[in-house]
Amino acid sequence: MTIADRALTEELAGRKDMIVCRGVKKWFGDFQALRGVDITVKDREVMVVLGPSGSGKSTLIRCINRLEAHQEGSIVVDGVELTNDLRNIEKIRSEVGMVFQQFNLFPHLTVLDNVTLAPIWVRKKPKAEAVAKAMELLERVGIPEQAAKFPGQLSGGQQQRVAIARSLAMEPRVMLFDEPTSALDPEMIKEVLDVMKELARSGMTMIVVTHEMGFAREVADRLVFMESGEIVEVGTPEHFFANPKEERTKLFLSQIL
Amino acid sequence: MSDTSLSNMSRQPETPLPSPARWVRDNLFSSISNTLQTIFFSLIIFGLLRWVLGQVFSEESDWESVATNIRLLMTYNYPADQFVRIWVAAGTVFFAIGSSFAAWNINPAITIRRLVVGFVGFGVFLLLCAVIAPSVAPSSIRNGMYIVGAVLAVGGLVVRRLVPGAHLRFVPFSRLLTGAAAIIVALIWILPFGRHSFSDGELTIERGVSVASSTKVPWTVLFVVLLVAFFGGRVLAARFAPVMRRALIAWWVIGPAFVLFLVLRDPAFDWGRVWSVDVPIAAAFALGGGALLYVLARPGRDDLARVVGAVLVAFAIFNWIAAFAGWYPMLQKVRISFLLVGLVTLLVPTFAGERSARIRLATSWIGLIVVVHWLLTAINTESTLVISAPPFLGGLVLTVTIAYYVMLASFPLGVLLSLARTSKMPIFRVLSTSFIEVVRGVPLITVLFFFSIMLPLFLPRGMGISDLAAVFIGYTLFSAAYMAENLRGGLQSVRRGQYEASDALGLSTVQRTVFIVLPQALRVAIPNLVGQAIATFKETSLIAIVGGFDILRIANSTIPNQPDFLGQKRPALLFIALVYFVFTYSMSKSAQNLEKKLQAGQAR
Repeated sequence: MTIADRALTEELAGRKDMIVCRGVKKWFGDFQALRGVDITVKDREVMVVLGPSGSGKSTLIRCINRLEAHQEGSIVVDGVELTNDLRNIEKIRSEVGMVFQQFNLFPHLTVLDNVTLAPIWVRKKPKAEAVAKAMELLERVGIPEQAAKFPGQLSGGQQQRVAIARSLAMEPRVMLFDEPTSALDPEMIKEVLDVMKELARSGMTMIVVTHEMGFAREVADRLVFMESGEIVEVGTPEHFFANPKEERTKLFLSQIL
Repeated sequence: MSDTSLSNMSRQPETPLPSPARWVRDNLFSSISNTLQTIFFSLIIFGLLRWVLGQVFSEESDWESVATNIRLLMTYNYPADQFVRIWVAAGTVFFAIGSSFAAWNINPAITIRRLVVGFVGFGVFLLLCAVIAPSVAPSSIRNGMYIVGAVLAVGGLVVRRLVPGAHLRFVPFSRLLTGAAAIIVALIWILPFGRHSFSDGELTIERGVSVASSTKVPWTVLFVVLLVAFFGGRVLAARFAPVMRRALIAWWVIGPAFVLFLVLRDPAFDWGRVWSVDVPIAAAFALGGGALLYVLARPGRDDLARVVGAVLVAFAIFNWIAAFAGWYPMLQKVRISFLLVGLVTLLVPTFAGERSARIRLATSWIGLIVVVHWLLTAINTESTLVISAPPFLGGLVLTVTIAYYVMLASFPLGVLLSLARTSKMPIFRVLSTSFIEVVRGVPLITVLFFFSIMLPLFLPRGMGISDLAAVFIGYTLFSAAYMAENLRGGLQSVRRGQYEASDALGLSTVQRTVFIVLPQALRVAIPNLVGQAIATFKETSLIAIVGGFDILRIANSTIPNQPDFLGQKRPALLFIALVYFVFTYSMSKSAQNLEKKLQAGQAR
């Protein structure tokens, strides 16, 4: 364990647990996507999940807000365990924001309506307050002037920033990012990553599935490398990029870097 | 919310056209085979047109039968001394159409070129008709067609020459509407249609004059109302568009019912009973229900609301069971009100919120109760109309009313059925699927017979239902099954990511369905839904079989049985074919416009 690792471990140990996964297993038919995943994400931690496609990293974060149901093990988010109880699921979903690879904005609503819909109807906020908050968030992601447009009229990068603002409008405790830049043209990736970096600096707890190594190196507190539904290695960026322990990690990094 | 004005989207200038001669050469005579095809199909078209004209101007066709019976075709037996009610009803509809155009900024501007092409085309068509019309055609009509056709064709070509850049300049919709209204009104006053009337068995025909002022004046007023509503509405819409839209949507849903039951049917209210029974019941439900909703809609009382709602719905169902078994009497409107309050309470968790949201919920409830109770009271009161033969509705008015309400009522039912069919809960899926498949496997006539003959037998003692209402219920259920299938296509087109995004935001299933899934599904389903609306409109003619006097039955059997026009079917059938076409064509045209508008709104 390097000095940086030790320092981080000590620092994180003092914080409370935000997400705790214990022995999470998940099958799609005969195919086992998760083979017993144990991971703890601390409050205000930024965790980047790496791995080849099909390694189960998307499945893992989709299990955390129950877009997929895990079959064995336990997932506890901010003290609430994910079970089949609808109430727990709704509670966790309103605490956990998610940003998708394909943005998944609502095409029939304006940008502003996309952002205010959930605060008004789920959080029961007064409309004026929700609109003010939405404008503030659109300002934060740098596109307040697009509020009256429809998603179809925006570029990919702008759409993804709207999607981030839409999640933030629910004032979540945790944000999940599922390959947020993979569907973007190269020139738009930076604008989205900048927003995510700013978010990380503001102290948001984040789990990010991405192939953007620059982002991982700069922002992540810890990196997780997954393969075949298992966690292979966990560590700080320094540890990962300088001297990874596992052969599989080395192989993957050599292919991607 | 999402109604940013998109009126300018159809305003892209058109590409300039080549000259007419060039166009004809390029498109009709570009090669030998093309030339042969052009000639062959032109001959077929000429033949068809000649045949239609032969029908119109045949010696066997007595157009007096249509002219005399216009009122019968339109309103059937509606008493002549009460006819002002028809005009008032039509006036409210014209007013609503005009204001709706204004409120939604419907603005299908077309270029001067397209207008000119239309005029020239129509002029050439008239000239052609004049040339090939059979020799029995009256010379006055033939000469009229020559003159009007020539004026239109030549005038159009002159305008095209004189106006530079006709493909770039738009005629505003306001001017089109005014122009069309002015032309129609002028024609009513000028055309020597003659005066035809049929009263007390006496047929009177006065030729060579324009129609009677009892027709001219109301129509003129109607078009003035349309224009006033449009231009006045535009002034208002500049500032109050959202409020206007909400009011108009409410009008389009409940307004026609008020026109039908209050204006046309004119119930003879017993005011003593109204004040002593009807008003107190309505007030009790309005205030009691409003207070209940206000209390339950406080955030955090979701579970309580669900329990109370379920109890109320169960109680309402029990009331009907009791009615069938005859355990205790209860006014039908009280039973209906209990069901309503239960259903709305079940929806409370979806629309709960802070104080203003709860007040809005309570006032909406009070509005709903007022409307429902007023209508129920009106429906249950005898009509004051003295009608020679019973159905007070008939002719085109019946066709339009039934079609409109079947579409309106089958829509929510169809939505529920399609949602149930795509639901995860097996019981809903099975119920909905079997209902849809059974109804779709049965001809409409069977459904109509069943409801007009069998339904009254199943009703509890002391509860009656008019033939028309029974037919309406059967037709609505039938139409809802088809609507559900059309909507299912739309529901399946909503991408999975939309569901995931809604779930990730914590929307409940109802909220996800109402705010995200249905709006997108409806857009996709519009073409099919319009197709179904057109079919519904045309199939209203089947209510003739169960005793209704719709426009087709009048043309096909009432008119040919009149002593003056024995056996005269052809003109009336041609006439109502034209009427059907005008309605269905405008429906499909406006749906195309709507589709374009919605697509421009969410271009991907």
